[in-house]
Amino acid sequence: MTVLDALQATLAAEHAAVYTYGVLGARTSQATSPALLETLTAGYRRHRARRDQLRLMVRDAGGDPVAAEVAYDLDGPLLRPAQIARAAADLEAGSVEVLLALVARSSGSVREWALTEATWSAVWQLELGGTAQTWPGAPELDRP
Amino acid sequence: MGAALLAPLAVTACDIDPPARDNGSAEPTPPPPEDSELVAAVVAALVRARSVVEAATLAVPGLTPVLEPVATSHAAHLEVLAGAVADTDVPAPAPPTIAGDRDRALAVVRRSEQRLLREVRRGCVGAASGDLARVLASVAASTAQHGAALADQGPGGEGS
Repeated sequence: MTVLDALQATLAAEHAAVYTYGVLGARTSQATSPALLETLTAGYRRHRARRDQLRLMVRDAGGDPVAAEVAYDLDGPLLRPAQIARAAADLEAGSVEVLLALVARSSGSVREWALTEATWSAVWQLELGGTAQTWPGAPELDRP
Repeated sequence: MGAALLAPLAVTACDIDPPARDNGSAEPTPPPPEDSELVAAVVAALVRARSVVEAATLAVPGLTPVLEPVATSHAAHLEVLAGAVADTDVPAPAPPTIAGDRDRALAVVRRSEQRLLREVRRGCVGAASGDLARVLASVAASTAQHGAALADQGPGGEGS
């Protein structure tokens, strides 16, 4: 896998993340879950900015940015606030994993950017009810 | 301390193996020689951070449940990293003195974790090995998570 491949894979994941955050936000009530909606909105904005940055990085690397799918499958009913928060936390966990792959394949400013974004997603999992982990994004190392 | 620490850790010297390697080799790949100094710096930072957590726990035993997850992660990170470079010179820092005040002890640990995060980030960005960079990125993400969790425990935090 080249740096460009890793950038494209990360961009594809960000398309899905932006879509998913949009759906999760639409299913969250401002009246009954204002804090969750605020957290989801901040997450949506971060991933949207990340997607836009990745498009630029793909072009800088000589590629044609991968396009978004028309729609993405979401797991589970995602009706209760706890389910929505969990889905967003899982999304962030997946983002860390994808970004760590980009860290491994890149260097310099691209790696530093991927590291910063991976760290942000890891911390945002806590905002969504997750707990601190020993090996976020690298589950194969998390063994007894 | 170095020998005592390295002995059990050497067993896991192959833990930084390449999860996404393309060549299909199952052989463990230690970091290239040019990364040895960098790994040693991160290991030294982890050992120092661990000593701060230990000192805080001794000074304020009530912090044990709060700091135990941090200590567990430090141990796991050290196990992988200290074993990755056979001749890693693991330092033996003098135990810091921490006052028996909960908020002050937490503040010391938080600062220590921030310092650790800076060192791990520096190592990640500078690593010649992509596999090592990935491991260090995960360590950085974990350290940032623990730092955020500790922030909720201080004055004004959820756990205060």
